[in-house]
Amino acid sequence: MKKSKLLLGLAALAVTGAVLVAADHLDAPSSGGTTADIADFFAFEPETGSANTTFVVDLQSNVLPDLAYGTFDEDILTEINIDTDGDLVEDLVIQAIPRDGRMYFFYGEAADLGLNSEVLVNAPLGDVAISAETATVVTTDSGARIFAGPRQDPFFFDFFQFNAVINPDPESAPLGFLPPSEAENTFAGANTMSIVVEMPNAMLGTTTALNAFNIPVYNTWVTTNRKQ
Amino acid sequence: MRLHNIKYIFLSGMLLFALAACNNDDDAMEPEQIAMPTCDDGIMNGDETGVDCGGTCAPCGDGEAMEPDFTGTYAQVDHMGRPGINTVLSADMEGMPSVKDAFNVTVPSAMVAEFQAGFEARLEQYHDVYAVKLGLDPADVNYQNNILNLDATTLTTVLAADVLQVAPDEVTTYYNGTVGLTGRTLTDDVIDISLILLFGGETGDRFSGQDTDNDGMADLPRLTSDGVSLTATIDAEFPYVSNPQ
Repeated sequence: MKKSKLLLGLAALAVTGAVLVAADHLDAPSSGGTTADIADFFAFEPETGSANTTFVVDLQSNVLPDLAYGTFDEDILTEINIDTDGDLVEDLVIQAIPRDGRMYFFYGEAADLGLNSEVLVNAPLGDVAISAETATVVTTDSGARIFAGPRQDPFFFDFFQFNAVINPDPESAPLGFLPPSEAENTFAGANTMSIVVEMPNAMLGTTTALNAFNIPVYNTWVTTNRKQ
Repeated sequence: MRLHNIKYIFLSGMLLFALAACNNDDDAMEPEQIAMPTCDDGIMNGDETGVDCGGTCAPCGDGEAMEPDFTGTYAQVDHMGRPGINTVLSADMEGMPSVKDAFNVTVPSAMVAEFQAGFEARLEQYHDVYAVKLGLDPADVNYQNNILNLDATTLTTVLAADVLQVAPDEVTTYYNGTVGLTGRTLTDDVIDISLILLFGGETGDRFSGQDTDNDGMADLPRLTSDGVSLTATIDAEFPYVSNPQ
């Protein structure tokens, strides 16, 4: 990682007072840089025609110095929420929470607790040792695959130029973003703490929610939740 | 649980072996000084949950194995659906001192009502910033319906309901020029797609660094691409995201 460049960039930000932003990395004062900070979220079909859906949740980041990075926090419950009827209220939830070097997954119907959650202790999906360098993967009895551990951060964004672009100072980036020959991916070389779950669509069920192209979709979002 | 215990015992054995090996090398420690917890030493030590029971020893009391404790209430602190929504479109508003924090603790079903107006104002504000940078009147540079023919209100309404939609039976693409909103792959260029939808206008390249007077220099700002592409390694096999670097 080009640390000197990042520090230069940070110094420039301190001068302009611009806000640090990314996919969701460091998005808000209260959660930014904590063990609960959601860095990124992906949901996709693992290969064309697959009957599975994969969810990747990235927590924390080492893209900048002094960020929380490297250990899953046992006080943080991560939830992947799934709405299958288009009302933007979760119908199903996949939970992940670490204990003593393992990540425990739970999966079931969402309880109607609003912004609070409890672990679905009666609906375990499976558990997997938290990986170090090399991935340890578990396939559960129900056919889901689970993983947790440090990974490369696949996000790419010229983060410092973005901050220059949104800076209202007329002298700041009057020509916007940089051409590809000059632009730099700030996240090149960064790592993040990933939680990956692949579920058979049969377990997620059918959906009546539609996207803007009238294609049936699951509405999904991830939350982190701190033990009270 | 039982497999876990066996693994722990194995690891304990490995640790003893490692310490012994270390001792052979430097003569700094007598093997007798290493007191590993056992299940018959009459004290609660190691990972025991009672005297010589629980953990890797026999279960305590009624024979129920100890499971990890998952009790308690967990309160939401962060939220994410689509990439960059909160970070790019949230801005502090009158009466809501930290919109970004508030967004993270709002349920999706309430997001449009609470945040759409602020998002639309922010979108216009970005256009005003570039009007000034171009030496134009901010009133003359406004959001233009995008390649999906969405007006500012409709676009920010879609984006304010911050969920990532994923289609179980369609190819995943954040947007591929024809179809979109069927999920987000690890390689989708979500920043460029978002920039095109926000600043690209009806052609998708409204502000893309054009040279309008043919002097070889850009006259319009480059706002529809940040110019970078994926640098991380993506694997073909689960978990797809690659070993840390």
